[in-house]
Amino acid sequence: MSGGYKQQPGGGGNITRKDGKRVAGKQSFPPPGSGGSRPQMAERDLQFIPEMVGGREKQPAGAHVHDRIRTGTTVGKSMKLVDSNAKVTGQAWYGDDVRLPNECVAKILRSPHHYAKVISIDTSKVEALPGVLAVATGQDSTTSFGVLPVTKDEHAMAVDKVRHVGDLVACVAAVDEATALHALSLFEVEYEELEPVFDPKKGLEDADEPIHWRGKYHLAKTNVQKRVFQEFGDRSLIDKPSASNHNKWTMKGVHHGFTEPHAVVAHWDPNGRLQLYTPSQVPHYTHRALSTVLAVPMHQINVIRTFVGGGFGGKSDPFPHEMCAALLSRKCGRPVRITFDREEVYMINRGRHPSHIEVKMSADKEARITGFDIDALIDGGGFASFGHVTSYYNGVLATAPYELGSFHYTGARVWTNKPASGAMRGHGAVNTRCAVEVGLDQMAEDLSIDPIDLRLANLLPPHSRTISGFRITSNGMREALERVREGSDWDNKFRQLPLGKGIGIGCGFFISGSGLPIHWDPNKFPHATVHIQVDMDGGVTVHSGAADIGQGSTTAIAQVVAEVLALPIEMIHVRSHESDTSPVDLGSYSSRVTFMNANAAIRAAIEIRDKLLNAAWEMIGYHPDLLVLNDRRIYYKHDPSIGVSYLKALHKAQEDKGALISSGAYRSPPMGGIHKGAAAGLAPAYSFSAYVAETDVDIETGKIKCTNVWAAHDCGRALNPLAVKGQIIGSCHMGLGQVISEEMVYGRTGHLQNANLLEYKIPSVHEMPNVVPIIVESCDPEGPFGAKEAGEGPLLPILPAVVNSVYDAIGIRINDLPLTPDTVYFAIEKKMKAQSVDDPLELESPRLIHSAMQQVVVERAAQHKVRDVARQRSDDTSAYVNGVLFGFDPNIPLEDQVEGWRSATEPLPDQLAELGFAGKAWLKKEQRELEGDN
Amino acid sequence: MVGTEHVDMLPVGAKEIWSAKVNGEDVEVLTTSNATLLDVLRDKVGTLGVKRGCDLGTCGCCTVMVDGQPQLSCLTFAGQVSQCEIITVEGLADGAHLAPIQNCFAKYGGSQCGFCTPGFLISAQSLLNTNTSPTDEEVKTAIEGNLCRCTGYQQIVESIQAAAAIHRGEVEAEAPASSPHPDPHPSGPEEPQMPPGHAR
Ligand code: FES
Ligand code: FES
Repeated sequence: MSGGYKQQPGGGGNITRKDGKRVAGKQSFPPPGSGGSRPQMAERDLQFIPEMVGGREKQPAGAHVHDRIRTGTTVGKSMKLVDSNAKVTGQAWYGDDVRLPNECVAKILRSPHHYAKVISIDTSKVEALPGVLAVATGQDSTTSFGVLPVTKDEHAMAVDKVRHVGDLVACVAAVDEATALHALSLFEVEYEELEPVFDPKKGLEDADEPIHWRGKYHLAKTNVQKRVFQEFGDRSLIDKPSASNHNKWTMKGVHHGFTEPHAVVAHWDPNGRLQLYTPSQVPHYTHRALSTVLAVPMHQINVIRTFVGGGFGGKSDPFPHEMCAALLSRKCGRPVRITFDREEVYMINRGRHPSHIEVKMSADKEARITGFDIDALIDGGGFASFGHVTSYYNGVLATAPYELGSFHYTGARVWTNKPASGAMRGHGAVNTRCAVEVGLDQMAEDLSIDPIDLRLANLLPPHSRTISGFRITSNGMREALERVREGSDWDNKFRQLPLGKGIGIGCGFFISGSGLPIHWDPNKFPHATVHIQVDMDGGVTVHSGAADIGQGSTTAIAQVVAEVLALPIEMIHVRSHESDTSPVDLGSYSSRVTFMNANAAIRAAIEIRDKLLNAAWEMIGYHPDLLVLNDRRIYYKHDPSIGVSYLKALHKAQEDKGALISSGAYRSPPMGGIHKGAAAGLAPAYSFSAYVAETDVDIETGKIKCTNVWAAHDCGRALNPLAVKGQIIGSCHMGLGQVISEEMVYGRTGHLQNANLLEYKIPSVHEMPNVVPIIVESCDPEGPFGAKEAGEGPLLPILPAVVNSVYDAIGIRINDLPLTPDTVYFAIEKKMKAQSVDDPLELESPRLIHSAMQQVVVERAAQHKVRDVARQRSDDTSAYVNGVLFGFDPNIPLEDQVEGWRSATEPLPDQLAELGFAGKAWLKKEQRELEGDN
Repeated sequence: MVGTEHVDMLPVGAKEIWSAKVNGEDVEVLTTSNATLLDVLRDKVGTLGVKRGCDLGTCGCCTVMVDGQPQLSCLTFAGQVSQCEIITVEGLADGAHLAPIQNCFAKYGGSQCGFCTPGFLISAQSLLNTNTSPTDEEVKTAIEGNLCRCTGYQQIVESIQAAAAIHRGEVEAEAPASSPHPDPHPSGPEEPQMPPGHAR
């Protein structure tokens, strides 16, 4: 009772102040559970309340729409994940931890052939085995499914053909694992082998039996699943370059390597509803696929997302084994559990596409980038998965952060008889980004200028448009570059370190939520919906379908609700596991969750907040504009003693109505161009990042060791800095793996040779560099409290930064990933031969003497910096589109000002001859056109 | 499983009773002689906190403490460790109070998806039991057999060092409020701390 105001005994007796206002009094006994663990109201945390609304939080990027609802409760504070206690006690339940009464175990029979017709399957011996409860084959459901509605090419099990070693053929449920395993050997399957394709370049040619058949849209008789052509800008700018380069890259397939193998439990309950437990990133897509494959309405299915032991894109498809478990459970009437072993995890794959990437680029005499020409041939494996999108992302996500004179992209995704590639952290953007950033490094070298200054002088400003029409809002690229330059002491190290030690730069650009929902028209349904319910006890239940896969989305949602309602985070309970109770959410992919779900949650929370404030208005007589929410209390701005507890306001608001319920939704604004494929890569916001890596190369063995990374990422605003840093460091780890050791090795016979964690080499703790995470906050105008994504973008820059640092160390550019010791040493030997040196230690590492152009870029970068600050703060709101750097007027369509400005999605006939690998797909015609020819 | 056409019924071991002390309690379960410790712990004893990431000794998710030493339960036959003292992640907390290592993993970001966490906690606790002032190198060596795909290890090392500081007594352990069962103050803020001048 220290220093508080006197409150009247008795349930909420009000007192009348001298000025006649009625004020809430004290209750003699506590109302039931308003929660929280502190008996006293915390002081307002002005450090975390923006300057614009009277706090002390700096706002270099200007005001934000959410400033008014900040309460200083959680946003911007490092918090542990709300489910971390479950994780550290072993109580978190992952796929294989779901144990239901009377459950049984199922195993999957997989194809031993790369490519074959399934002639017949005899299951009689299997069924006769004691202990076998149910058997299913492809004939049990012949409906196709797939994550993208345009490419549904998967089945629960092979219907006519198997398309890679490990493709599903049949499945069996039995009383225990040993029986199920034994049962697998009793299937009698007759196959007719077909000629497999492994090399994606072969996939561009006509085949006797293409792996899939797309009818009249099929491209001749090739195995091309998707081809893309995009060309923008003024192609004449690339004539007479002052520097140019052309690099061909081979990138191997890499796998997500999540620690939890796939697992699923299906339970067809006695009421005839399917309960399916699965560690999925996209429960809603699984829900849809189950409904079509099983031919039951969606409302008869409850998809329960278990804890997810890492996803990274690898658990973002509806999977055939989920269908298998459901089919078996329907047959045997018991819960069926399927858990993969590690080999099966690689068989279902969906990792990053093995890619052949070619990048040509050029700069003019002012060191402006006049053109990017990208050709990406990507190996899709046996199924489409997300490949349609990947085919676009390999090109379009390279259209920023730089201003380009022209952009030309040809991409093709090809089916081969390997496990399907799919979406993996940094989806589609990673490999091309690496090639582009390394090309820029080379270009800076050819121009004898600093690569950071080259970048700084060519950045798109905030609030601008890329050459392909993407709308850039907040943009912290410049700050990221400046901060890593300073943090790493770049200017005293670059091209100055001794042989074997190197430093390199790389940048990144990524979408923060895909602007186009996969399943519906963007302007009809919201991308994310969040429901909030507050009952008498004061606890806040938040229903969301966002899939927490370890990135902390549940925590982010709880945080924003706590922030708006000024409640301790312990009082917010997020329910996000079941489709029965959660509103539709598209899932955790394309880095959309924080941006879209938190925005939806804020809207729902504002509705509750308004109701509470109105109740308080009635009780204490001050208009909501004059009220402050802080730690379970609402009070008059100028006199905190005049107020009412949260719980009393809540009860007032609940009179006549009962629990407060609200629903908030997020839908991205209409954006983007009208060309074919314009929607691919559209996002309501984009993240930017810049990394500097320091690497030691053992010049006698070719072994590289990345020692330090300065990693600056513009995440708009860090809702939870601890989690953002965790994402940055984790991204470094995953990207580093792709550079130094990870690859899915396919032997000459097309077999995957390292389907285990021993030979698929993920960096251990000893390979990790010391990472200095640097959070850049550009405060996105549409992001929740300014936030953008931090889960995928941070992966992109690590690859080129390391590759560039290897060049700085030994003066050799290697365009094959991973940079294993043998690859590196081979390159060193080659250089020794070329320079006729016997001892590798006599090689020279590169040095830089600035040319006159350095001054040009430094000056331009300085001017641009002023421009960018003004635009970021909206002091300058003039239009800006890609092309202004080349002297064009942003207010007139570029087509009208520049003769030859192209915006094309198909090649001109005279371009066909000079297209790269993937471009060759444009030499073929679709079946419907071929019909027309006859 | 690919190419299982030729796999016959796996040899089924003889039934036997397996007994050990798991997390301080004597357990006795019926199992087969060829069962791994991981199978027994997950399927018979019910300590599902022990995770199976690979079953091949390559991920460390299944690490448990056997007589104080970290051991991969997927590579251990249950019979090899019968009568031993086994600690799994479930045995780290003291009732409702989390061990320092658990609190620190939560607080310093040592756990993201959490699937690797039980294994890391056991490896780390085994280290701290004998060495409360490890260098970063010693910490790294202790967890080199554990794979984490989410965190990049850095925050795990920080978490372990923070727990070490608590073990050394340099830092107070977290108050019970951070235990899994925070002590609720149902009445909420009855006593707002007024800025000076507002008290009446
Ligand atoms: S499950 Fe034992 S090491 Fe992976
Ligand atoms: S936290 Fe996900 S694997 Fe370590």
